[in-house]
Amino acid sequence: MEQITDATLLDIHRRMIRIRIFEETAGKLMEDGKIPGALHLYVGQEAIASAVMVHLSNKDWITSTHRGHGHLIAKGGEFDQMFAELYGKATGYCKGKGGSMHISNLDLGMLGANGIVGGGPPIAVGAGFSNKFRKTDNVSVSFFGDGASNEGSFHEAANMAGLYKLPVIFICENNGYGEYTAQKNHQAIVDVADRAAGYGMPGVIVDGMDAIAVFEAAGEAIKRARAGEGPTLLECKTYRYFDHVGVRGMGLSYRTDEEVEQWRKRDPIESLEKRLADQGILSPEAAQAVHDEVRTQVQDSVRFAEQSPMPDPSTLLEDVYAA
Amino acid sequence: MAEAQVKPRTLPYVAAITDGVRAVLREQDNAFVVGEDVAGAGGVYGYYKGILKEFGPDRIYDTPISEEGIVGLGVGASATGCRPIIDLMFMDFMGECMDEISNQMAKMRYMFGGRVTLPVTMLTMAGAGASLAAQHSQSLEAWICHLPGLKVVMPTTPYDAKGLIISAARDNNPVIVVLNKMSLGMMGEVPEESYAIPIGEANIVRPGANYTIVAIGRMVHEALKAAEQLKDLGIDAEVIDPRSLQPFDTATVVKSVEKTHRALVVHEAVRFGGIGAEIASQIQELAFDYLDAPVARVGAPFSPVPFSPALEAHYVPNADRIVAEVKKQLGI
Amino acid sequence: MAIVGLLANPSSGKDVRRLVARASVFDNQEKQAIVRRVIVGAMASGAKRFVYLDDPHGIVRNALAELGVPAEPVDATATGTALDTISAARAMRKAEVEVVITLGGDGTNRAFCLGWPDAVLLPVSTGTNNVFPVLVEATIAGAAAGLLASGALVGEQLSNRQKLIQVQIEGERDDIALIDAVLTRERFIGARALLNPEYLAFAALTRADPAAVGITSIGGLLQPVSTTEDIGLVIEFARDEPPAMTISAPLAPGYYRDLNVASFRTLNFDQPITLSGPGVLAFDGERERELKPGQQATLRLNRNGPRVVDVNLTMRKAAHMGLYHRRPSKEKT
Repeated sequence: MEQITDATLLDIHRRMIRIRIFEETAGKLMEDGKIPGALHLYVGQEAIASAVMVHLSNKDWITSTHRGHGHLIAKGGEFDQMFAELYGKATGYCKGKGGSMHISNLDLGMLGANGIVGGGPPIAVGAGFSNKFRKTDNVSVSFFGDGASNEGSFHEAANMAGLYKLPVIFICENNGYGEYTAQKNHQAIVDVADRAAGYGMPGVIVDGMDAIAVFEAAGEAIKRARAGEGPTLLECKTYRYFDHVGVRGMGLSYRTDEEVEQWRKRDPIESLEKRLADQGILSPEAAQAVHDEVRTQVQDSVRFAEQSPMPDPSTLLEDVYAA
Repeated sequence: MAEAQVKPRTLPYVAAITDGVRAVLREQDNAFVVGEDVAGAGGVYGYYKGILKEFGPDRIYDTPISEEGIVGLGVGASATGCRPIIDLMFMDFMGECMDEISNQMAKMRYMFGGRVTLPVTMLTMAGAGASLAAQHSQSLEAWICHLPGLKVVMPTTPYDAKGLIISAARDNNPVIVVLNKMSLGMMGEVPEESYAIPIGEANIVRPGANYTIVAIGRMVHEALKAAEQLKDLGIDAEVIDPRSLQPFDTATVVKSVEKTHRALVVHEAVRFGGIGAEIASQIQELAFDYLDAPVARVGAPFSPVPFSPALEAHYVPNADRIVAEVKKQLGI
Repeated sequence: MAIVGLLANPSSGKDVRRLVARASVFDNQEKQAIVRRVIVGAMASGAKRFVYLDDPHGIVRNALAELGVPAEPVDATATGTALDTISAARAMRKAEVEVVITLGGDGTNRAFCLGWPDAVLLPVSTGTNNVFPVLVEATIAGAAAGLLASGALVGEQLSNRQKLIQVQIEGERDDIALIDAVLTRERFIGARALLNPEYLAFAALTRADPAAVGITSIGGLLQPVSTTEDIGLVIEFARDEPPAMTISAPLAPGYYRDLNVASFRTLNFDQPITLSGPGVLAFDGERERELKPGQQATLRLNRNGPRVVDVNLTMRKAAHMGLYHRRPSKEKT
């Protein structure tokens, strides 16, 4: 199993901070009415995207979910274009045509957030098929939730990946809720990984609040895929701090505050920072400096987004078709 | 042997499809075929027969019966550097994969601000007349013509089948090629070489002077028969095969109506909410001053496709019904 | 009291070793089926009452419900971590449970013993390494437990007290290992599984079993030590210096690796061994505790572990005593 280096630990740490501060800021801007539409925030789940993505290059594809900002940030997304997209500005990654739920950047290998629960896995299988057909050693990673694991699309995709032994890693971010419904009310099982056996692939579980554990397990799954040994279902047990949409996380009718507090005690950033400090890799002061630096970048990018022009109405009909 | 002329090659529609697919696989290294029963069996209608043998297992793949997975594969593979041909055995099965067609394939380019291209071709089979009943006989082109981002073509002859498949595969957009199962045995001229039919250009299959019939899919052949019958009534019908429904060649149709002053649209699909309603509406908007009568429409009645041959024959429009509608419109 | 305790670890048999080494998968339907068979066996053998850890997956609860058997969940935490097993063990001890059937691997039983070190256990294997659990059909495991819990059979000779390694960690809570305690020069617990031989520094074994997998197998291939001998084995691994020997051993199921051994020796009871960080302490095959640079840990071997039921002996005794026999009644013939 690959040993994590200091450089990788610091890289993961920075990606997690970038996601956390971006998301908290975006949530506030949505509440303030500055960002139109709906945001699904990734706060609480940062360890997963960050620790998976350090194994991938821009030529490795990912598909994401409606909760997709974290995946794009971890894949190398720039704050300027991301905030601009959330603001619906012409300078956004999608020129203001996609917004939060379709934010994407193919140059980074990110095949889009997706407004359809279960929309990603079939596309990831297509990308994995393409990787294999074009005889590359690139992989594709499909992020999805416990909710999506009940969609037929997931089952069709998983079966095809198993059948063709595709270099696809299915990463189930099991945050215990499909939108507003607790897992116990939406599926008869608790471990989505149990479903892997039905598709001829190994299914393993890892603590999604522990970036190092995710790094190790994802590394094995990705190594296996690159070696042509086929797909893996990796279930990461995690938690969504905020509501399905927007920020409010406490005082919700469908989950208890105690539950939220239990999970927050296992905060992936705090626990990583503690271990980095224990091992003398990153002092608390140095960690704080990362937070401060990222916060400044976020503020600069919000300013960039706010000062960017709205898309011209003449562009409305552009990009429906390719030439 | 100066006078020894090469006789033009004729092929049935089904073989023209094969020829089109073969041409695509030859000219595009990153093209492949995926679908249910396409490789080992050569397709339920046999139009992939010989492809596996000629191109090998790296170019054509049998899939599970997983339509959503198949279309998703086409989306993901086309977004990442391939030019897949995906086969949807019957158009009726779009219900199994409409999310991938409608929400992913059609919209991905737009949602991503034009920063992705999806050169994916979907072949699918429509049409009633084979007693396959309500779930294997529909013509659902209206569903997909309503989705910005898709192109939709309906070849009606062997020549068009090959040419439109090649055009679809060369196009950088998702193109759905709607084939017709009752046309599979129809013979026609199909050149050996690769050729493309521009998507969005209608074909005036029978020029005429005083009546325009816009016929969709297999109804082109019924319209041609109707035109022969109408000759006896002094009507010289111009029959237009749009070939492409999305984009639609409005200009050719309007130009024809400006000349003929009367028009009828015919398709196999249910009349209510069919593509004919859109075409009739466009004619009335753009050529109202030229029209001597409202645009007529012929389509299937508002019921599912029935099974029994006795009922089905009554269901699918034909030349007689076209003639009857023309006569009704003219009051004769 | 005739109480049987039931504990099924929902997380056992699911970690990264499925991927790296294709270790056995135990999905929760399988675990539920095993628990059901355990209960059937126990009831056929006199068990009247059950208490259980109500895990979030409902493995035991659902099995009980399938059979319509009334039972009480113990008051334990529900964190979805090993803490639940530890707190359930404490609660079962308080409830004066006679015998506890655990479903899991070495890690599950280790966690249980952290809460109740000297319980009477009948460990059924649904884990990865499964050195500690006994290989027995669940029905019969249930039967043996039922015989003991109901008092149909009594006697300490029907179970064997196990060795364990007690671990004191400077400035932190104590820990234990049932099979092996290892110091690896890795830095993090990570995905827990102990899979990198090149980082191994030291191992202390309660048993050295050449017929098992995991660290204990290395010792077993060097010098077997049985569960009944009042000694353990210590192995020093060679990292920078040339090894005294290289041993090919199954570090995990389906996972042979070459291990560079510097030295090995037997270990007496209560003889302290001090290790220091940086590194990670792994117990029973899983990385468990991170040691900071300079932080010390002290290991001691003893026989203060749980009693494990000897299923074979118990069933033979039951047969000998005719506990399952029923003779035709004379009136009816």
